[in-house]
Amino acid sequence: MTELLINYLHFSYTKDMEVLKGIDLHLKDQTTAIVGQNGAGKTTFVKLLKGLLQPTEGAIQFNGSNTKDYTAANLAEHIGMVFQNPNDQIFKSKVLNEVMFGPLNIGQEENEARDKALEALKKVGLEDRLEKNPYDLSLSERKMISIAAVLAMDTDVVIFDEPTMGQDFAGKERIKEIISELRSLGKLVLCILHDMDFAAEVFERTIVFNQGNVLLDGSTRDVFSDENVLEQAFLEQPHVMQIAKNIGLDGIYTTESELVAALERAWFD
Amino acid sequence: MSAMTLYVEKNSIIHHMDPLTKLMYVFVSIAATYIVPVHEFVFLTAAFSLLLIIIGKVFMKILPIIAISIILIISIIIVQGMFHPDNKTVLFSIGAITFYQEGLSYAVLLTVRVINMLSAFGVLILTTKPDELIERLIKKGMSPKIGYVFLSVLQIIPQIRATMGKIADAQRSRGMETEGSLIVRIRAFFPLIGPVVLNSLNDTRERAIALEMRGFNTKGKKTFLNESREYPYRKIIQFLLIAILMATIVWRVLL
Repeated sequence: MTELLINYLHFSYTKDMEVLKGIDLHLKDQTTAIVGQNGAGKTTFVKLLKGLLQPTEGAIQFNGSNTKDYTAANLAEHIGMVFQNPNDQIFKSKVLNEVMFGPLNIGQEENEARDKALEALKKVGLEDRLEKNPYDLSLSERKMISIAAVLAMDTDVVIFDEPTMGQDFAGKERIKEIISELRSLGKLVLCILHDMDFAAEVFERTIVFNQGNVLLDGSTRDVFSDENVLEQAFLEQPHVMQIAKNIGLDGIYTTESELVAALERAWFD
Repeated sequence: MSAMTLYVEKNSIIHHMDPLTKLMYVFVSIAATYIVPVHEFVFLTAAFSLLLIIIGKVFMKILPIIAISIILIISIIIVQGMFHPDNKTVLFSIGAITFYQEGLSYAVLLTVRVINMLSAFGVLILTTKPDELIERLIKKGMSPKIGYVFLSVLQIIPQIRATMGKIADAQRSRGMETEGSLIVRIRAFFPLIGPVVLNSLNDTRERAIALEMRGFNTKGKKTFLNESREYPYRKIIQFLLIAILMATIVWRVLL
C-alpha cells in the first residue's frame, strides 16, 4: 500500500515570505485533486513531495521513510511527476527514446524499458508515432509524451500538474481513463487542477489550497458543495453545480450524467 | 526573476542625471586621464569619479569590482617597477629583485587610470537603468534594433537560467542524477542543454513574432512609452564636460 504522510510542512523560498504555512495531510489510495488559486502553493507542495525542494520545517514520509533521506533522482523510482510544460523535458529525437529515458534511469533493463514505454505510449494513443521527432508533434501530443514518460516508470505515486491544459475533449477523456486505470492498479494519483469540472468528475478526494494553507479537504462531493469555502479560495463551483443551482434543482451533482438523470426524473415527475 | 544588470535602485542626485550625461562623463574622464598624463590631475579625476560613486550611494558595489582588478594592478606594478625602459633610480630591492622609481611612478599612473575607468563606468552602470539608457540613445538616433539587441541580452540570460532550473527539475524527476562526479555531470549535460536550446530558439521566434505584431519594423516616426524627462543641469554639465575635454586637448597641444 502506498501512502504519503505530511506533517507540519512549512516552506519558503525567501526568508520574509512563507509559501506553505504548516500543512498536515495523509494521502492514501484515493485519487486526489488539488485545487486553488494561482500562488496558493500547489506546485510548491508537489515539488516538495517529489524531493525537488526541501521543507524548511516539518516532514514528508513516503511509506514510512522520510523523503529527506532520498535525492530527487532516487525518489523518481517511487514518485513520478508530469510537469506542466512538456518542452522542459523533451530532448531525444525519437518519441520512443524519450519515453524510455526515465525507465532506463531508474535501472530498468533495455527490454523492460522498451516494453513499458510501448505500453505507456499505447495508453496515451501515440503508439503509431514511435519513430517521430517529438518536436514535429503538436503541443498536446508532446504533453501526452511527457505523461507516457512518467507512466513508463511505473511509480507508486503519480503526480500530474495541470494535465488537462491544452487538451481537447478526446485528450481529456484519455487522461480520465489513464487516471482510473492507475487507480485500479493501486497507485496513488495526485493532480493539480484549475479545471473544476474535471476535478469534480474524476477525483474521489479534493483538497483546496489557499495562501499556503489547506482550506478544505474531503470527498470531492462535499468539497464542491461548500460554496462559501470555495468562494473564500476564489474558486468556482463546477458548471453542473452552477446549472443545478440556477434552475433551482436541489442536491449535489459532480458529473453531467448525474445532472441529466436528475433533470429527466424532474421532467417525468 | 531579476534582469541581469548591475543597476542598484537608490535615490540619489546621480541616479536622476541624464544617462547620456553620464555616458559623456565616462568618455571625458577616461580620455582626460590619457590626454593629461600628470599624476596630480589623474589622481584628482579618479578621486572625483569615486566621489560621484559615493554621492550615488553605490560605493560598496564598486569595491568588489575594483578588487577583481587588483590582479591586473599588481602585475602592472611588478612589471613596470622592474622593467620600465626609463628605469634609472633604484628605489628598493627585495633580494635579487630591484624596483625603480620611474617604473613605479608610471605603474601608479596606470593603476589610478584603471581605478578611474572602473569608477567612471560604475557611475554609469550602477546608477542607470539599462532600458533608460537605451531609450535615450534611441531617441538620439541609435537604431532600435541595436537597442533591442543590448536589452534582450540582459533579459534573456536570467530567463534561460530560470528555464534551466525547470528543466533540471523535470529531468531529476525522471531519475537523472545532476549532482556528483564529473561523469555524472557530463552525462546530465545533453538532457539539460537540449531543451534549453530548443526552448530558447522557440522563445526567440515567438518574441520576434510578438514584436512584429506590434509594429517593431514599421517605417515612420515612432513615439515613446516613457515621456522625455527633464534632467537637472543637463545642458550645463554637458557643456562643462566638453569644455574640460577641450581644455585638456589644448593643454596637451600647447604645453
